[in-house]
Amino acid sequence: MLRGLYKVLNPELFTIKKLDASVAVLSAIILTGFVGPWIYPVDPRAVVGPLETPPTAAFPLGTDAYGKDILAQLMSGIRGSLQIGVTAAAIALLIGVMVGLVAGYKGRLTESLLMMLTDIVLLLPSILLMILIAAYFKWRDPLLVSIIIGVTSWPWVARAVRSQTLSLKSREFVYLSKMAGYRDLQIVVRDILPNIASYIFMAYVLLMSGAMIAETGLSMIGLGVTQGVTLGSILFWAQVLEAVRRGLWWWFIPPGAVLVALAASLLMLATALDEYFNPRLRGG
Amino acid sequence: MKMPKLGPLATYLVRRSLFVLATFLSFLLIIFALPRAIPGNPVATLLAQLFQQAQANPDTIKAVYRKFMEEFGLDKPLHEQLYDFLSRVMVGDLGTSIAFYPRKVADLVASYLPWTLGLLIPATIAAWILGNLLGAWAAYKRKTAVDNVLLPTFLVLSQIPYYWLAMILLYVLAVYSRLFPVAGAYPPTIQPALTAQFVTGVLYHYTLPFLSILVVAIGGWAIGMRVLVIYELRSDYVEYSELLGLDDKKILGYVYKNSVLPQVTGLALSLGTVMGGALITELVFSYPGTGFLLFRALSTLDYPLIQGTFIILVSTLLLANFIVDLLYAWIDPRIRASYVGD
Repeated sequence: MLRGLYKVLNPELFTIKKLDASVAVLSAIILTGFVGPWIYPVDPRAVVGPLETPPTAAFPLGTDAYGKDILAQLMSGIRGSLQIGVTAAAIALLIGVMVGLVAGYKGRLTESLLMMLTDIVLLLPSILLMILIAAYFKWRDPLLVSIIIGVTSWPWVARAVRSQTLSLKSREFVYLSKMAGYRDLQIVVRDILPNIASYIFMAYVLLMSGAMIAETGLSMIGLGVTQGVTLGSILFWAQVLEAVRRGLWWWFIPPGAVLVALAASLLMLATALDEYFNPRLRGG
Repeated sequence: MKMPKLGPLATYLVRRSLFVLATFLSFLLIIFALPRAIPGNPVATLLAQLFQQAQANPDTIKAVYRKFMEEFGLDKPLHEQLYDFLSRVMVGDLGTSIAFYPRKVADLVASYLPWTLGLLIPATIAAWILGNLLGAWAAYKRKTAVDNVLLPTFLVLSQIPYYWLAMILLYVLAVYSRLFPVAGAYPPTIQPALTAQFVTGVLYHYTLPFLSILVVAIGGWAIGMRVLVIYELRSDYVEYSELLGLDDKKILGYVYKNSVLPQVTGLALSLGTVMGGALITELVFSYPGTGFLLFRALSTLDYPLIQGTFIILVSTLLLANFIVDLLYAWIDPRIRASYVGD
């Protein structure tokens, strides 16, 4: 009877739907961030209208406590957050993949030391580490914030890459390459990396969504970027200037909603990719 | 001398506690090294500022400066600074706050910590239980309308930052419809005491922060549990029990028990993330917990207070982690069985 449950519906169709939905939401947000300013050319830093105007025809998402346009800020914030997400995820991925590959492939003492380091960073909550590091920098540009997020969010990638490398290492094609006299670096790059490429791509997508959420958290506690606009910096000013208690819903709802939509669609994309690459998850 | 032979459970616990200790020490090293490694040493900069103010200003700033100088001891060699720092932390001396001078950091954090823990622990446990039940239900109803509604809901919920949900709940339920208070942890007009009036006031202020954490955290647990149950439902013993004709309820009971085990490990790992989110959620509600204190410390560059808050938060987390480890060793029949067998 329980098994009967799996035989309903066409699983392939569901996967594709999930992929479509996430790609659609992602493209819509990216377009808003990059093409939006061409259609709606308003300076996000300029005072353009009366203070705290609710959405009207002239100001589609209203204005903030200084009279700055919120839609323009949102477009700029999307770019800022995406920039940090892309960079921070790349840094975390680089560290995580390197640590995981070296630990998994080298084994012995190298592996023990690297995994000990990984476990320690994993046990220390990344958001607290980020806050602690950011607290010591007076000026924080997007690159610095990306580095702070990147160097604290790699451990789970390292763990996963290590375990995949471990299982690949004992496969026949790796033995063959070893017997053929290839050097370690060549084996890792030619035999192991291509086999975990799909996983690495998924990890990147997840890291990116995590980094954008982390940026917002850092901003909310007052440690986000000191120049430029991100989704987090909009929320920060809304919080500091009491937008919620003063009922200015158009100020704090859009940046959060866009962030959730971005993060959820990236997660959905990773899930869809997971099902695509691991047919077992799809199966009935 | 012969070392006493340890059972597997004891070995596991000794190894775990050593690891937790090593992590704590590494964290202290990070705390120590950060201000000293960053170009321009922010602590030295702050010190120079205090020194300038002390030239022009009355005795208190001089006193703050002297205290700060003594506690950070930046004029001493590095290894002496490290020794001083570690030995002070070990006896629970976290220094003196600058913003709240002359209050001690440890006392300050201790007075704010209960509000944070009071929010964090019940919300985490409630979310864990509800998330597991909902996730298992979604897995059981897989490929039906129930799961097709539940899964996307969980996915979206799990991606909402607590503090943004907090803003929305605060706006809808407190600012707009005036059902709940807009700020604080208890009514400002009532003296904190163990009276029925005060307790009701506390619970009334507690509802929204609690809900913000609960609702979001349920999503994450449910997603994890759903996948675990789906895998478990395919295992051989489930098919075998079905062929034997056992009723679904009984099988589901076994499936649930087996799937919930990895979720206990997940509980330990998630605590840090939940704490980070909860600290920021406190800001939204002006809830007088550690997040609120940390924000004050950060905006006044009160480095002793920042460091102290982190040391206490991380020790609390590591302790909680260790408790979850104990719990896991206690409920996992594999560890227990090998212990009894030894």
